[in-house]
Amino acid sequence: MHWLKATWRNLFRRALVDSDLEEELRSYRQLLEDEKIQSGADSATARREAAIELGGIQMIKEEVRDIRRGSSLEGFGKELRQSIRSLRRNPGMTAMAVLMLALGIGASSAIFSVFETVLLRPLPFRDPDRLVELVSTWHELGMNEVAFSEANFWDLRARNRSFESVGLYHSDEANLTGDGQPERVSAPRVSVDFFRTLGVAPILGRDFSANEDRASVAILGNKFWKSRYQAAAAVLGRTLRLNGATFTVIGVLPPGEPWIDDQVYLPIPYSAAANRSSAEFAAVGRLTKGVTADAAQADLNRVAASLAETYPKDCKGVGFAFFPASRWIAPATTGRALRILLAAVALLLLIACLNVTNLLLVRGLGRQREIALRTALGAGRGRLVRFIMLESLLLSAFGAGLGLLIAHGTLPFLRTLDIRGLPRLDEVSLDPRALAFAVGAALITGVLCGLAPVLQIPDQGIATALREGNRQAGASRRQGHLRSILVTAEIALAFVLLVGAGLLARSFQALINEQRGFQTDHRLVFSISYPQSYGENGLGKQFIDRFLDELSVNPDIVASGAVSVRPVQGPNYGMGISAASRRSNAPPWAGWRVITPGYLRAAGLPLLHGRIFNATDKPVSAERGQPEPAHRTVMLSAALAKMLFPNEDPIGKHVLLWNNIDAEVVGVAGDSLERGLDRGPALTVYLPYGRVALPSEFLLETRDDPMAVVRAVRSVMARLDPSLPVADIRTFDEVVNRSISSQRMNSFILAIFSGLALLLASFGIYSVLSYSVTSRTAEIGVRMALGASASGIVSMTVRQGLRPAFLGVTIGGAAAYALSGFLKSLLFGVRPFDLITYAAVVVLLLVMAALACWAPARRAARTDPAIALRLE
Amino acid sequence: MPHPSNTALLQGTLDVLILKVLSLEPMHGLGISRRIAQVTNDTFQVKPGSLFPALHRLEEAGWLTAEWGESETNRRAKFYRLTKLGHRQLKQETENWSRISAAMANALEIS
Repeated sequence: MHWLKATWRNLFRRALVDSDLEEELRSYRQLLEDEKIQSGADSATARREAAIELGGIQMIKEEVRDIRRGSSLEGFGKELRQSIRSLRRNPGMTAMAVLMLALGIGASSAIFSVFETVLLRPLPFRDPDRLVELVSTWHELGMNEVAFSEANFWDLRARNRSFESVGLYHSDEANLTGDGQPERVSAPRVSVDFFRTLGVAPILGRDFSANEDRASVAILGNKFWKSRYQAAAAVLGRTLRLNGATFTVIGVLPPGEPWIDDQVYLPIPYSAAANRSSAEFAAVGRLTKGVTADAAQADLNRVAASLAETYPKDCKGVGFAFFPASRWIAPATTGRALRILLAAVALLLLIACLNVTNLLLVRGLGRQREIALRTALGAGRGRLVRFIMLESLLLSAFGAGLGLLIAHGTLPFLRTLDIRGLPRLDEVSLDPRALAFAVGAALITGVLCGLAPVLQIPDQGIATALREGNRQAGASRRQGHLRSILVTAEIALAFVLLVGAGLLARSFQALINEQRGFQTDHRLVFSISYPQSYGENGLGKQFIDRFLDELSVNPDIVASGAVSVRPVQGPNYGMGISAASRRSNAPPWAGWRVITPGYLRAAGLPLLHGRIFNATDKPVSAERGQPEPAHRTVMLSAALAKMLFPNEDPIGKHVLLWNNIDAEVVGVAGDSLERGLDRGPALTVYLPYGRVALPSEFLLETRDDPMAVVRAVRSVMARLDPSLPVADIRTFDEVVNRSISSQRMNSFILAIFSGLALLLASFGIYSVLSYSVTSRTAEIGVRMALGASASGIVSMTVRQGLRPAFLGVTIGGAAAYALSGFLKSLLFGVRPFDLITYAAVVVLLLVMAALACWAPARRAARTDPAIALRLE
Repeated sequence: MPHPSNTALLQGTLDVLILKVLSLEPMHGLGISRRIAQVTNDTFQVKPGSLFPALHRLEEAGWLTAEWGESETNRRAKFYRLTKLGHRQLKQETENWSRISAAMANALEIS
C-alpha cells in the first residue's frame, strides 16, 4: 500500500513533490541563517555561510529524485525522449548505424527463417519419432536399400508385431482429362492406411476406408487442390478422369511434405495375388509405443526369415530394414551448410555491431564535455549508463525494424529458388520464431554496441574530462586503443568470412570444371511416359525406333538416344555385380542403365574399348512367356571395368548381373559424373534396350539452341502417337546446373555476406582512421611546420593505420584456419587450408585497409600548418 | 590535528542515527543534523547533501512520515516523525549494531 501510494505520488504529483522539496531546502537554509545570526554573525555573512553549508542544491535535488521510487519508471519515458532527440540531432550517424544493423539483423533473420523452416520445423506428421521408412535389403546381392514388392509388404503387414500400422506408396503419374485443361499429374497409389500411418487426416472429406472400392475414389493433395480447384470445398464428390478411368474425390490432404505433397492419391486395395518379384513400392511404418529400434529390427528379421521359408524362390536372401523419419527432413550436408550460413551471418552482424560501437564511441568523444557537465550537475553514473544503453538499444530496435523489412523483401526471392536438398523452401516466412530471433538479435546487438561507450564514461576525474573536452586530440589514449581493437576485430572477422566464401567459391569452380565425361552444351533432355500397352507386342520398341529415326533426319539434331534414367537428375537403380570368374559375396554396387545404341554419342560419352550396342543386342531379361535369353551383352563404364577386371582387357569377359545373371562385356564407355558432379565417376552397367526394356528419357544433341528443336520433337510425336505426353523438357545444362544449385547458393550467399562484411569493415576502418587523423590535425600541423614532408605524413599515417590491420589479418588467418575444418564436408577439390584463397584474402584486406588509411592521410597532409595550429 | 568529522559515514550508519534521534521526538532537517553531531560528539557532521537523500529514502521505505510545522524560531519547517515501521526497524538495527560493534571491538582488541 505504502509503496503504491509513494509511486503514485512520485509519478503523477511530481510537481507537488518537487515544490515540496524546494520549500524544504529553502526552510533548511532559513534555519541555518537563523542559527548563524544567533551565534553573532551579521545577516550577509550568515546568508553566505548558510549557502556554503547547504552546498549544491541541484545535486541534492537530483539525488533525492533518483531515490524516489517510481523515478526510474518516470525517468524512462523522459530518457527515451531524450535519447530519440539526441539521435535526431545526429541524423547522419543514426542513419548509418541503423542501416548497418538493419543489414546484419535482416540478413540473419532471413537466414534464420530458412534454417528454422528447413531444419527445425517438425514434420507435418503426428509423433514423428515413432515414424520410420521401411526398405527391403538383399545383402547377398549388395543391395542394402531396395524397394518393397507388394506381396512382401502385405505379408509384413500381417506378420509383424512391432508396428502399429504400416503404409504402402507406389509412385505413379496419370493424364488428367475431361475436367478443364488436360494435365499430367503425379498420382501415386497408396494403401488405405497410408495416411493413418503417417498420422495425417484429410482437412476436407474423409480418408480412405478399410475396404475401399477398387479404383473409384481419390484424395487430392493440398497444393493441387488450391491450384486447380481454387481450394473449393465443392470439389468433394467431383469426378476425375485419370488415364481414361473415373474417380470420385473423397478428401483433401493438409499441406506439407514429404509423402503428402503429390497431386492425386488413389487407393491400393489388399490383394492376395499381389506380385512378389517386382520391387517398386516404398513403405512407411509407425512403431508401436514402447517398441525399441532393436526389438523392431529383430521382429523384421523374424518376418524375413519366415517369408524366406514360405517363398524360397522369391524371398531367399531378402531382409527388411528401416530408417527414422528424421531423414526425410534434409540431408546432413544441408544442415551443415545452413549452420555455416547462420554462423556467417552472425559474423556479419558482429561486424555491423563493431561499426556501430565505433560510431557511438566517436560521438561519445564529441560529447565528453556534455557528459562531464551532466556528471558535475549531479547526473548519477547509472543515469548516464542508462542514457547510452537506451540510445544503442534504440538504434538496434530501429535496425531490427528495418532489417525485418529487408528480410521480408528478400524472402519471396528465396522462396522461388529451387534448390536441391533444401526442402520446404517455398514455405519460408517470418513466423513468430523468426520474429523472436530478430528481437533477440536486436537486444543483444543493442547491449553489445553500448558496452564500449558505457565503459568510456569517466567514473572519476570529472575535472580532467572537462579540461580534456575541448582538446580531443589529447583525449584518452585508452579510446585510441579501444578503437584499434575494433579495427583489428573487424578485419579478423571479415577475414574468416572471406576465407569461407573464397573456399566455397573455389569449390564451386572446381565442381564446374570437373571432367564430367558427358557433354551438356547443345543438348536437350525430355521424358516420355509410355502407356501400359507399349510393354506388349513390341509396340514400345517400334515407337522408339521410329521416333529416333525421324529425329535423325532433322538437320538441326546431330545425335539422339534414350536412357532409362535421366542422368544427374534421376534416381539410381543399381545392382550388385561381379566378374563371373570370381563371384564376390560383397559385390560392388553399380547403377544399371538401359540405353539405345545412339545414347552414348548423344551424351558425348566416348567408347574406349570394344563396340557400341547394335541391333543384335537384346535385353537381358526375357519377354513374358519367352525363354530366358541364351546370350546377354552389356557395356561397362571405365571405372567399373577397371574395378572388375584390373589389368585385364574386359572385352569378351563375363560378369554376373545382380550377382547371378551371366552376361558378356562387349564395350567400355568413358566415365561420367552421372550421379552428381561431386560424386566421382559413376559405376555403370549399360544394358541394351528392346521390347521389354524401354528407356523413357531422351537426350538430343542439337546444332543450335536446344530449345529450338522442341517444336520439331513435338510434331514428330504428334505424328507417331498424339496421346503420348512429353514431359520435363530441359536443356542438359539446366539439369546439371540444378544438380549443383545448393553449392551455387551456398557460395553465392556467402559471397554476398562477405562482400557486405568487406564493405562494413572498410567503412569501419575508414571512419576510425579518418577520425583519428582529424583529431591529430594539430599535431600534424606542428610536424609540417617543423619540416615534415606531405609524403612523410601520408606514409606515417598509413603505417600507423595498417598496424591494427596487420594484427587483424594475423588473428583472422589463425581463426579461419582453426574454423575451416567445419567447412570441410562442403568443400570439393579444395583443401580447407587453400593457400591461394588465404593469400587472396590477405592481399584484399590489406589493400582495402591501406586505401581506407590513405584518404584521410592525404587530407591531413594537405592541411595548411597555420590553420592546423590555430585549431589548437 | 585532523578533524574527526571527516570520518566517512558507513552506509547505513546515517540511517540508524536518523531513526535513533527521531525516536525521541519529531524534528526538522537541521535539527536532526545538529542532534546527530551532538550525540556523536561531533564525530559525524551530516551535510545536507547526504541528509536529504537519506531522509527521503527512509520516507520512501515507510519508516518516516513528514509534515509541515513551526520551528522553535517560528519558521515553517518540515518535521519528520518515526512511524511504527520505523520503530521496529530501529529496534532491529540497534540489535544488529550492538552485535557488530561487540564483534568489532572484540576483533580489534585481540589483534
